[in-house]
Amino acid sequence: MAEIADITNEFLRAEVDEFVERPDERERLTALYAGARAEMQAIAAAVVEGEHHEADRLTREALDVGTDALEVMDDGLIAGMALVGIKFRENAIFVPEVLACARAMKVGMAQIEPLLSASGIEPLATVVMGTVKGDLHDIGKNLCIMMLRGSGFEVIDLGVDTSPDDFIDAVEQHGAPLLGMSALLTTTMPNMGKTIEAFIDADLRDSVKIMVGGAPVTSEFADDMGADGYGKDAVACVALAKQLIAEGAGVGD
Amino acid sequence: MTSRERVLAALRREPVDRTPVVNPTSVATVELMDLVEAPFPEANREPELMARLAATGHTELGFDSIMPVFSIIQESSALGCKIQWEQKDNWPTVRMAEPVYETPDDIRIPDDLLDHPDCRCVLDAIRILRRRFGDEVAIVGKTMGPWSLAYHCFGVERFLLMSLDDEAMTRACLERLKEVTVAFGLAQIEAGADALTLPDHATGDLVSGEYYHRYLLDLHVELAERLPAPIILHICGRTVDRMGDIARTGMAAFHFDSKNDPDESMAAVHGGIGLVGNVNNPETLFARGPAEVRAEVIRNLEAGVQMVGPECAIPLQTSIENLCAIRAAVDEWHAARAAA
Repeated sequence: MAEIADITNEFLRAEVDEFVERPDERERLTALYAGARAEMQAIAAAVVEGEHHEADRLTREALDVGTDALEVMDDGLIAGMALVGIKFRENAIFVPEVLACARAMKVGMAQIEPLLSASGIEPLATVVMGTVKGDLHDIGKNLCIMMLRGSGFEVIDLGVDTSPDDFIDAVEQHGAPLLGMSALLTTTMPNMGKTIEAFIDADLRDSVKIMVGGAPVTSEFADDMGADGYGKDAVACVALAKQLIAEGAGVGD
Repeated sequence: MTSRERVLAALRREPVDRTPVVNPTSVATVELMDLVEAPFPEANREPELMARLAATGHTELGFDSIMPVFSIIQESSALGCKIQWEQKDNWPTVRMAEPVYETPDDIRIPDDLLDHPDCRCVLDAIRILRRRFGDEVAIVGKTMGPWSLAYHCFGVERFLLMSLDDEAMTRACLERLKEVTVAFGLAQIEAGADALTLPDHATGDLVSGEYYHRYLLDLHVELAERLPAPIILHICGRTVDRMGDIARTGMAAFHFDSKNDPDESMAAVHGGIGLVGNVNNPETLFARGPAEVRAEVIRNLEAGVQMVGPECAIPLQTSIENLCAIRAAVDEWHAARAAA
């Protein structure tokens, strides 16, 4: 089993030691970083530090010397965001810092995505994402989308102020087994329930698993609204999407 | 005591005959709009409709305050932001994806800010309410703080990244935008507002307590000094980690969210500021019944919270029955104590 001392990047090693307390997460991240090459650890560190110029440069250098795009994404960019998600959950960092990290990941992904598209890798599943009707906030939704795409999902982004009909149309048009709704305002949260009711009325509720999230949303509220799952943050959103796919979303239920 | 006397005394943290039921933010609902024929979006743009709908908070729900500013768009609209006016069942909202500023130098406060129809509507509605209700009920105005205005004018993501990348530029934005807060606040006081809600969304869901201390504490102290009426600071979400600083602003009260435990919040402010709150909106007022509302009200009263009300602007589909349960629970709690 890898030890924290096996992480060669000094910054990453210190970050894991300081911020990752849950044993399972500590073990997983230690193995992830210790198993990554030094160049990939440096990319992950740039993401964690929110240094987008550095992330851009290191990603370009890695690709220029022939490093596989998937390795750069998984062991560098996504690996960095895994630690960012934990720090955010533990209130060690807040949204401005997460946005800076996401910016760093995004500049790297801008170089990776064309290569992955050209390689013809099949997505895990299609997810329709949008902020509910009446709500124009999209930071949380956009972070989720970035993490979902980085984790192999195809995402249809409906943007903000999305009506129930627009959600339904997109799910039908793309045959999406997963739908994610976001709301930042307590005043617009009930529109999650309205959207779910619209899926029931359209006789489509059983064909899609519905995830909800957003700062004021809770697991209890998600249950009340009839959602299939709640994600507290972008990392949890990805885990939930993978869980729902594993449970059979999109395979005939 | 009249409702007005009760609220003003509570804002001064003086003795009251019963805990006032206060709404620093909107309690407008679709049911109330129908009741007085004052629907959204018109009730956000026409003074008579705004005053009529706001008054239902007192006449129908039994609150001790009337707060006519249902949305958060007035100042931003006057500054040039695009507004999505929506329909009866949705809130007017600022199109933050289409920001109007990029740098502090872009900030231009129009000379006729207060003559903009959306600002003037609020001022006229306050005058109508003052004329109609005299000294019976507390009239609470609302002026947005510079941090929230920056979200609207720069876009949330851009402003938050600016706050990390360039502290001096961020401070310059806040310094300029605070003059909007002061101008609109002073005008509402002059129009007859007894107190002002000052929303400034430096919430723990977005930024750290250290951010509040660094960027906003001194600004809020200054705003409390420059606005000659009791100020109710409103910040949604988790805020316990910054309540110690908030208690040092000199503001009269803090309108706190249900994410913060009432006992813990009372301890955090340590008598430095009054608290207003914090009945949960989405899970309790919107989705549950009077019994659950009552339980949350009692929890606040037992904690010693000085003024009771919803945690924030309520969902428009909230039932009148649940809103009336707030006042009923306060009356019941005080009656039981008086009898004991």
